[in-house]
Amino acid sequence: MNKKTKKVLNFIASLKVAVVLLILIALYIVIGTLIPQHSGPQFYLDRYETLGPTILALSLDKAYSSLIFIILVILFTINLTLCTVLSLKSQFKQMSDDYYPPFNEKGEVIEEKDEKIVRALFKKRHFKVSGDKELKGAKFRWGVLGATITHIGLIILFLGGTIGNLKSDERNVTLLPTNQHYFEEEGFLLTLEEFYMTFDDDGELKQYISRVNIKDDDGTTLTKELWVNKPLHYKGLKFYQANFGWTGNLRVVDTDKQEIIAEGLLRGGRSYFVEDAHLTILLYGYYPDLAIGHGQQPVTLTNQENNPHFAVVLYQFGQPVDSYIIAPNQAICFENYNITFTHAVAYTGLLVRSDPSYPIVLTSFIVILLGMFVSFYCYPRFVSYEDGKLRTCSRRNQWVFRQSIVSDLNRLKKKD
Amino acid sequence: MYQNIENITFTIAFFFYIVAAISYLVLVTKLSGKVEKGATWATIAGFAFHTVAMIARTIGSQRVPFSNQYEFALSFAWGIILSFLVLYMIYRFGAIGAFVMPLGILVMGYAAMQNKTVRPLMPALQSLWLTFHVGTAILSYGAFALSAAIATIYLVDSKRTSERKILEDPVVSDILAYRVTVFGLLMLTIVIISGAIWAQKAWSRYWAWDPKETWSLITWIIYAIYIHLRLRKNWKGKMAAWFSIVGFVSVLFTFVGVNVLLPSIHSYVS
Repeated sequence: MNKKTKKVLNFIASLKVAVVLLILIALYIVIGTLIPQHSGPQFYLDRYETLGPTILALSLDKAYSSLIFIILVILFTINLTLCTVLSLKSQFKQMSDDYYPPFNEKGEVIEEKDEKIVRALFKKRHFKVSGDKELKGAKFRWGVLGATITHIGLIILFLGGTIGNLKSDERNVTLLPTNQHYFEEEGFLLTLEEFYMTFDDDGELKQYISRVNIKDDDGTTLTKELWVNKPLHYKGLKFYQANFGWTGNLRVVDTDKQEIIAEGLLRGGRSYFVEDAHLTILLYGYYPDLAIGHGQQPVTLTNQENNPHFAVVLYQFGQPVDSYIIAPNQAICFENYNITFTHAVAYTGLLVRSDPSYPIVLTSFIVILLGMFVSFYCYPRFVSYEDGKLRTCSRRNQWVFRQSIVSDLNRLKKKD
Repeated sequence: MYQNIENITFTIAFFFYIVAAISYLVLVTKLSGKVEKGATWATIAGFAFHTVAMIARTIGSQRVPFSNQYEFALSFAWGIILSFLVLYMIYRFGAIGAFVMPLGILVMGYAAMQNKTVRPLMPALQSLWLTFHVGTAILSYGAFALSAAIATIYLVDSKRTSERKILEDPVVSDILAYRVTVFGLLMLTIVIISGAIWAQKAWSRYWAWDPKETWSLITWIIYAIYIHLRLRKNWKGKMAAWFSIVGFVSVLFTFVGVNVLLPSIHSYVS
C-alpha cells in the first residue's frame, strides 16, 4: 500500500470523520422527529411555506428512507469498518505477552517495600506476572478488543438492517371467524377459528386474541392462539395480532314480496347497493357501547357490547336520504324495504411478516453488548514493581485502577 | 389502602429529600462539615420511604410501576437517588448530594404533578419486557443524572481556589462523571436493544423511527461521541463536563419533551 492510499484510508477511518458523520446523522434524525413524515408534497408546501421546497429537496419528508440518510449511514459504515480493520494490527500487538505500556511516574508510584505483599496482591488480582528483577503483571489484555467487538456488532446490525429492508415481506390478512387464507409459497391453510377480546372487571380491554388453525399440505394440523406480544411462528412466517374491526350482519327484506333479498356481513365504512331501488346502504360504524360525544357524533365507550348500535346512512341515486342509529334487529323502513342489522361480528387483522434478518440483528445485539461490557469493564490493566515502587497503568481508568490497587494493598497489609 | 400508603410515604420521602438537599448544600458551602452524616441518613430514610411508595404502587396496581408518566417519574427519581447512594457507599463523596438531590426533588415534584390514577396496561404493554426495558431505563437515566451533577461540580470547582473546591481533586470528579456515564451508556444500550426486541415481538419490527426511540438513539449518539473523544482524543475536564450536561438535557427531552411535544407510540406513558 503506498503512502498516499494509506493516508486517504486513515482519513476515512478517522475519529474526526466518524464524529462529523454521527453529528450529521443525529441532526438528520432530529429533524425527522420534528417534521411530520410521509404526508405528501402539498402538505409541506402549505404548512411550511418558504421552507417547504427545502424540506422536499432534502427529502426531510421521508427522512429515514431518503437517499441522503442512506448515504450518511453507508459512509458511517465504511468509516466504522475501516477503523476496525486498521486498528486490529495494533490491538493484536497489545494483546501479546511482551507488551507493556509506558508506566507514568507522575504521582502514580505506590511505595511498598515488602515484595511478598506485592506478589500476594498480584496473585489476588489474578495478574499474569512475568520478570524477575522488575515484576510486571497484566490482566485483561484481550479487553483491548472491546471497541472492535462493539464496532463489529454495529456493522452486523447495519448488515441485518439492509437485509431486512431488501428481503423482508409484510402483508395484512383480515379474517372473520371461519375465514381461510392459503399461503401458497409456504403450503399451508390458515383458518380463523375465533377472534375475541378479554376485559377486566372495570370493563377495560385486556387483550385481543385470535385462535387459528393451520392445516399444512404435509398433513400437519395445529391450533394456536396469538395475541399482542405473542406472535405465532410458522414456516418462516410470523403472525402478529395487529388490529381488529367490526362487521354488521345486514338483512334486507322486500316487504311486498315478503322475501329476504340480501343477507351478509358488512364491514364498517363499507356499503351495500340495492340495485332495484338504486339504494346504497352504508354502514357508517358499529358502536358496541354507544354514547354521544362532542358535536353529536356517536362514539363507543368501550369495546364491550353493553349498548350496541349501528350507525347507518342511506343514499338513493347517489344523494343522501337519511341517517340512523339503530339497535340490533331494529328495522329501518324505506319504501318497500326493511333494513336491519341483526348482530355484529368482530374480524381480526393479522400482520404476516417474513424477515430473514431476525437472527442477524439479534446476533448484532449480543455482540454490541458484549463489546461494550468488555470495553468498559474488562479493559487492560498493567502493574510493575521494582525497587519498592509499585506502578499502575490503565489507559481507560487509571485513577480508579490505582485506587483499587492501593485499597487492596492496604487490606493485605492489615491482614498480614 | 395501598393508595394511601403510597401517598403518605411519597410525601415523607419528598420531605426527607428536601432535608437532605438542604443539609448537603450546607456541607458544600462549608458552613458546617458535621451535617454530612445527617444528610446521608435523611437520604437513606427518604429512599426507604420512596421504595415503600413504589412497593405500595406495585401491590395496588398489581404490576411494576413503569407504565405512565407519573410512575416513570417516581421510578426515575428513585433511580437518581439509588445511583447517588451507590456512589456514596463506594467513594464517600457526600458533597455530590448537593447537586444530585435537587435533581431527584425536581423529578419527584414532576411526578407529583402527574395523574396518579392506576390504569390497566394496554395490550402492547403486557409483557415481561416492560420490567426489563423500563427497569434499565431507570438505572440509565439515574446514572446520567448523577453524571451531570458531578460534571456540574467539576465546572464549579474549575473556577474556584483549592480551599473552596467542592471535591478536593477535580480529576476525581472528572473521572467519576466518566465512570458513571459509562454505566449509564451501557444501560441505555440495553434499554434500546430490549425495546427493539420487544417492539419486534409486539409490532413485528425492531425499529420504527418512533420519536421516543429516535431520541433515545440521539442520546446514545451524544454519549457515544463523548466516550470516543475522551478515550481517543483525551477530551477531559470542561469539554467532557459539558458533554455530560448536554447528554442529560437530551435524556430529559427524551423523557418529558417527546411525551409532551411529539406524537409517539410511546404516548401511553403520558
